[in-house]
Amino acid sequence: MFRRLMQLLNREQKSKDTAKSRLQLILVQDRTGIDEEIMGSLQAELTEVLSKYFILEREQVEMELEREQDSIALVANIPVLGTKVRHPIQA
Amino acid sequence: MGKAIVVTSGKGGVGKSTSTANIGTALAVLGKKVVVVDADVGLRNLDVIMGLESRVVYNSMDVLEGNCELEKALVKDRRTKELYLLAASQKNNKSDIQPEQMKKLCLELKETHDYVLVDSPAGIEQGFQNAAVGADEALIVTTPEVAAVRDADRIIGLLQNMAITDLHLIINQLSPEMVKTGDMMGPTDVIDILSINLIGVVPKDKEIVISTNRGLPSTYNHKSDAGHAYKRIAQRLEGEEVPIPEFKSAGLFGTWFDKLFTWG
Repeated sequence: MFRRLMQLLNREQKSKDTAKSRLQLILVQDRTGIDEEIMGSLQAELTEVLSKYFILEREQVEMELEREQDSIALVANIPVLGTKVRHPIQA
Repeated sequence: MGKAIVVTSGKGGVGKSTSTANIGTALAVLGKKVVVVDADVGLRNLDVIMGLESRVVYNSMDVLEGNCELEKALVKDRRTKELYLLAASQKNNKSDIQPEQMKKLCLELKETHDYVLVDSPAGIEQGFQNAAVGADEALIVTTPEVAAVRDADRIIGLLQNMAITDLHLIINQLSPEMVKTGDMMGPTDVIDILSINLIGVVPKDKEIVISTNRGLPSTYNHKSDAGHAYKRIAQRLEGEEVPIPEFKSAGLFGTWFDKLFTWG
């Protein structure tokens, strides 16, 4: 609630916040050597593999590298509509 | 045995030489025996910022080539006792000095001085490597801008690869008004990104230009906020607990709270 109020009051993002988020992205790329092109092909390949097992909402797939204190995480949001795997019943 | 500290940044123009001159002077004023070393071979300027350019006779290259004794190459400051400058050669290239030679030079200087402050050239090439190779600690100078912080991050990585792990950050040329309005990253933002120890925040200050014109470090100038900030950095290097105030963008309650703080 309070957060929403703050957002209403500061509708436009402060330029220092833009600077900070740009920096965070740049540093992830600098530190890992993985740029947007590589991320793009990673996402395409991973989506391909996951599609063997799941029915995905392909246009909604999001993948990015996020930097936390001392570590970098690959964060993905992959909406699954259904599964393609049939569970064999063990005899 | 003293310690050697490299002053470095990656990016040029963020205030490495100004910081070296001022912190060196402030440490000497505190009673320490200090030598500031210009490692920017081919583009020397620490002598000019210290106002000692007319008295430089020999430089580090003369010492390394055996043309003069180390002690003879040190230029003594006029105003402060126990403050010395070792100038860089203007005629040579950065590749004319080998890391091993710089390491030995730092070691020799540490034997006779409490602090050896090495002013690094911009960049990450051999000039930087030479400046850092003999250092026990590093002062990383940045400004609160995207390009400068990015380069600082790169430099931090390189220093850690060289096994220099005692790193301190100086945020230079900070404008408190712009931090307040949210148009400049504040110390908290920069530390969030670089996650290293902050040793001082130096405000943007016109007095720095005036001091540089006169060849008189701002540490001597009582009107200079930046000069005071450098003095506090020297105290912190000496282990004194001098708090660094927080600079934040103004919240809903305005700025009266921020006014309770003075400069860091």
